[in-house]
Amino acid sequence: MKKMRSEKILLIGGRNKASALASSLLSQGYHVIVVNDSREDCMKLAEMKGLTVYYGDGTKPYVLDEAGAGSCRIAIALTSKDEDNLVACQICKRNFDVKKTVSLVSDPKKTEFFHQMGVDSVVCAISAVTNIIQQQAFVDDLVNIIPVGLGMVQILEVHIPGGAVVAGKKLWEIDLPKEVVVGCILRNDTALIPRGDTRINEGDTLVLIARNSQERMAIEVLTER
Amino acid sequence: MNLFETKNKDNYVIIIGCGRLGANLANTLSDNDGNVLIMDSYKDSFRRLSSTFGGLSVVGNGTDLDALNNAQIQNASAVIAVTNHDNTNIMIAQLARDMFHVKKVIARLYDPERESVYQELGIDTICPAILSAKEVDKLLGKCGKQVQA
Repeated sequence: MKKMRSEKILLIGGRNKASALASSLLSQGYHVIVVNDSREDCMKLAEMKGLTVYYGDGTKPYVLDEAGAGSCRIAIALTSKDEDNLVACQICKRNFDVKKTVSLVSDPKKTEFFHQMGVDSVVCAISAVTNIIQQQAFVDDLVNIIPVGLGMVQILEVHIPGGAVVAGKKLWEIDLPKEVVVGCILRNDTALIPRGDTRINEGDTLVLIARNSQERMAIEVLTER
Repeated sequence: MNLFETKNKDNYVIIIGCGRLGANLANTLSDNDGNVLIMDSYKDSFRRLSSTFGGLSVVGNGTDLDALNNAQIQNASAVIAVTNHDNTNIMIAQLARDMFHVKKVIARLYDPERESVYQELGIDTICPAILSAKEVDKLLGKCGKQVQA
């Protein structure tokens, strides 16, 4: 069942990202408003049911005012230009009291600067993607990795293959790196929260939380045959 | 990288954007023995500099931290952001002020509405539209007085 949330979310700029994000947010019951300065993109976005679209430059105060930025709780800047995202977020925060501003940034070196300038949450697509690519390139077994906390921490799924050395062992018997914890074991459609004496079976999928760069060792230990 | 040795550290001005205003400023400062570096993304823009321009012209993106570091922005006494894009100027001004602690930072903004926002945030801004309006008003005032007299 869909939960109805009256919360409004403002998306500024972006075409494919805006459209994907909007459809996901709409399906969760949020009220989504999109501001885009390309007429073509607006037409495309307006095809989405339930989406409110405004055609205009989202870094101009009067455009944001008309789009109703004042009643939005979250504003997300998705344009391809870092400077536009910064200004959009700052004006949302300052002129319209938007509680949370999120900005996409393409230059990884500016993440800290954006935080300093008052943007609440900064997402660097490039560093997130390069992290994932690196990990995928070095890991043979199929592993799902999600970077969190600016990429300092990884959440990953590791499948225990048949004949693995660790199969049948208790958790505390396994020599995992220090900064890695097993958060959950997925076994036959059930999720177990493990303790030190929980046994690991072949075919289990472990959900690990690992500090950056520790995950590779953990994967090696768990998948070794 | 040491691009050059600063002769006079107290008066080193970085201008970003070599348009009409940027080039004009650079020429004037250079003619007055100022230490000037002008940066623009396009080499072609430097054609606007006069032949007597004695400062440095650097091709680079003024919002790039490495480009600013290479220009020794931390030694600059002033940074003037006059690219043709308001938001770029805003970001350069904030980078210069908050990341590199430059004392004097000036940004040119075309949009008067945005100007008021960033003035409140403590950035020195100039807005050609407002300046022109004031000037026109002054001229009109004069002409009004003449008519009255």
